Amino acid sequence: MKRTADNSITDDLLRPVLQTSKAFFVAVAILAAIVASGFSAWAYQIYYGIGVTGDNWPVFWGFHETNFVFWIGISHAGTLISAILRIVNATWRRPVTRCAEVITAFALMIGAMFPLVHLGRPWLAWWLIPYPSERLLWPNYRSPLVWDFFAINTYLLSSLLFLGLPAIPDFALIRDRTTGWRNSLYGKLSLGWQGTPKQWHRLESAMHLMSLAIIPIAISVHTIVSFDFSMAVVPMWHSTIFGPYFVVGAIFSGIAALNIVMAIIRKALHLEKYLQPIHFQNLGKLMLAMSLLWGYFVFNERLVTWYGNTPHEMAALWSTQMGRYSPLFWTMVFCNFILPFPLLTIRKLRSIRAIVIASCGVVIGMWLERFLIIVPSLSYKGTPYSWGSYMPRWPEIAILSASFAAMALLYLLFSKFIPIISIWEMKVGEHPSIKVAAKVQEAEAAGELI
Amino acid sequence: MSHQWGMAVDLDRCTGCEACVVACHSENNIPTVGESEAARGRAMHWIRIERYWEGEFPEVKVKFRPVLCQQCDEAPCEPVCPTYASSHSEEGLNSQIYNRCIGTRYCANACGYNVRFFNFLTPVWDKPLHLQLNPDVSVREGGVMEKCTFCIQRINAGKVASGLAQRPLVDGEIQPACVQSCTANAMVFGDLADPESAVSKLANSTRGTKLLEELGTKPKITYLQRESWHETHSG
Amino acid sequence: MSAVYGLFTTPELAQQAVDELKAVGIPESEITIQSSEPLEEYEFGSRDRATLMPWIAVLGAAIGMATGYFLTSVTQRSWAINTGGMPIVTTWSNLIIIFELTMLGAVFASVLTLLVSARIPRRLPKFYDREISNRKILIGVANPRNVSKVEHALRASSGGVRRVENL
Repeated sequence: MKRTADNSITDDLLRPVLQTSKAFFVAVAILAAIVASGFSAWAYQIYYGIGVTGDNWPVFWGFHETNFVFWIGISHAGTLISAILRIVNATWRRPVTRCAEVITAFALMIGAMFPLVHLGRPWLAWWLIPYPSERLLWPNYRSPLVWDFFAINTYLLSSLLFLGLPAIPDFALIRDRTTGWRNSLYGKLSLGWQGTPKQWHRLESAMHLMSLAIIPIAISVHTIVSFDFSMAVVPMWHSTIFGPYFVVGAIFSGIAALNIVMAIIRKALHLEKYLQPIHFQNLGKLMLAMSLLWGYFVFNERLVTWYGNTPHEMAALWSTQMGRYSPLFWTMVFCNFILPFPLLTIRKLRSIRAIVIASCGVVIGMWLERFLIIVPSLSYKGTPYSWGSYMPRWPEIAILSASFAAMALLYLLFSKFIPIISIWEMKVGEHPSIKVAAKVQEAEAAGELI
Repeated sequence: MSHQWGMAVDLDRCTGCEACVVACHSENNIPTVGESEAARGRAMHWIRIERYWEGEFPEVKVKFRPVLCQQCDEAPCEPVCPTYASSHSEEGLNSQIYNRCIGTRYCANACGYNVRFFNFLTPVWDKPLHLQLNPDVSVREGGVMEKCTFCIQRINAGKVASGLAQRPLVDGEIQPACVQSCTANAMVFGDLADPESAVSKLANSTRGTKLLEELGTKPKITYLQRESWHETHSG
Repeated sequence: MSAVYGLFTTPELAQQAVDELKAVGIPESEITIQSSEPLEEYEFGSRDRATLMPWIAVLGAAIGMATGYFLTSVTQRSWAINTGGMPIVTTWSNLIIIFELTMLGAVFASVLTLLVSARIPRRLPKFYDREISNRKILIGVANPRNVSKVEHALRASSGGVRRVENL
């Protein structure tokens, strides 16, 4: 029986918040510079117009829309891991949940920027908000873009709450352990949390209900993003498989992003005791399952299109299999399927390093997949005279790089102010289960234990 | 019953001269984007002549087809616009309302005919070309979608003139710029709701087909050709 | 106000303290428990569990659903614009908006219930001890009628630290 309160969990997980190395400032500076360059590219684009990108007639969508779908997809990591594993009481999720939820929150914020970035007149984006306007016009609820507005905002608000509520007890912890500006800041953020049983019960009830709600929300979000494409009669877009296809791809890319992020913080913040190989192994197995599912959907799509042999789809299909876009297509297949498959299936190979390599491949492969959904179809739409192609220019590349830098920067800043592993949930992980505790009490009462 | 504007284009008469393209540009204040932008695929021709070669030398044939906004009755570009910038008018036209457009370009992707164009950059008219701008048509700014309107300004002017003169519209009185300038008289414009109009009769012609009819968009332009697709490909 | 409390290093000791307090006649509602982690596996940490939150979440969902329904159908009818020959009120696509607002309603209702029932945000009450964040469990009584009885009960659980405060 423990006679002293063990504070090692608290100490270990608070250390990154309370101590800062020089490397942190260097990393922040570099990432901030890249993000700033992305914003200047955007400002340049707003001033001169979308014409500074590679968008043209008839390929009106390119990198920006690819990035939109990609980042919204990455945001599906947190939900799956956190919500589903909470509901099924999988205890290995404890050190992983906040890492994942943070990815969701920031990936959503970054993804939600891209509808603004791709607009021709972004200063009028507020017309998507449903409010009684003097023009007597409301948004067109028949448009998938308005569905996007509602879905992404719902998901963003829910995810921020999902991330923020379980952080309150950790804020209280930091409030009690610090003085000065930290004590005052976390004092406000902890909202007066005391930790009474009632408060804990209500928090856990709210988390349980939100877990139940956020799973259908997440599935609906990426389905609705897929509707941006499948609602248009464009070759290889107008497919009924798009909803599930996109959701599976999102979860796939989300887990890959989570693996990469977890490996980095494990090394950088010395959290080897908490983020153990078993966590990577479990996520690796999930990622393998997603890779197979993704492959299944791609095979479905391509077989049905090829077999159907309709002229207006075949040009788009062949461009990806053998034509102009085929190098990208086969790279994608390698990154999403051929590379991860052995690394994740063969137990001897399934080290943390191998899982990270496979995950990097998946992130690249899934970005390519979004690009290959959008651009080849638009290139081969309509009458052959009007077919075209697309090449990105520097503003798109700058903004793409800035989006990755922004993710890293936001994550870095987050881990500096909030423990990246949920401290109170780790402590709960040490508790005996309810049955065991009751048995211990019985045994004590019967005098069998001291 | 309100007017339902439609068009008939006779492919057997079209010579591919592109007078319609030029006329459309000048009537509707469409900018010429310049050589480098055109090379990037940003040219804006609300009406274009699609040219296709058929056969091997010396049995080569050339086919011309003027393609412009089909003013579809079930336009795929209309439901997808988040701000109602693309909607259907009571006279059967697909209205592009520039003021509402925020430039998502979804309508252009949804259009199966690729007849929608985007102002990728702010249009400029070097002096003294700015003097040729048509005062009846707005000048669009960068970030806004545009496309053929069947010269709505001419339709409105015709309706106003006939109203002032207190007489009904005469068939053929209203002519969009392309129809007016066609050197081969290949284009006919009129009211499909009037069974006596020239365009109504041509719409029912056995020489008539619709472009990409299988998309289900119900386009309002009838293309006429001596051999229909069915005649060529059966027997 | 004043308070008498002890800080206990393990949940078993805390449970003992609560049992002792109940044995000397302190009603459960007057016993204050505070900890830096939920202790639902233990009897003292499992009180106050019953909540109406799921039902309130359902109510929130219903409000969200109604909002979605009226927002879409009323505004679509307010200015009937023909797009693509679709009906003016497009129920199929309105279902999407209705779904999102339903879920949002459920989430907001849950969060609101949490804030109200946990009584946050508020200023941290004075009856608190920072040692809780060193993984100690606070068991005590606020404004005790019989201070010595409470002190005695708390001290009886070996290992507990007892404090008397005038707050």
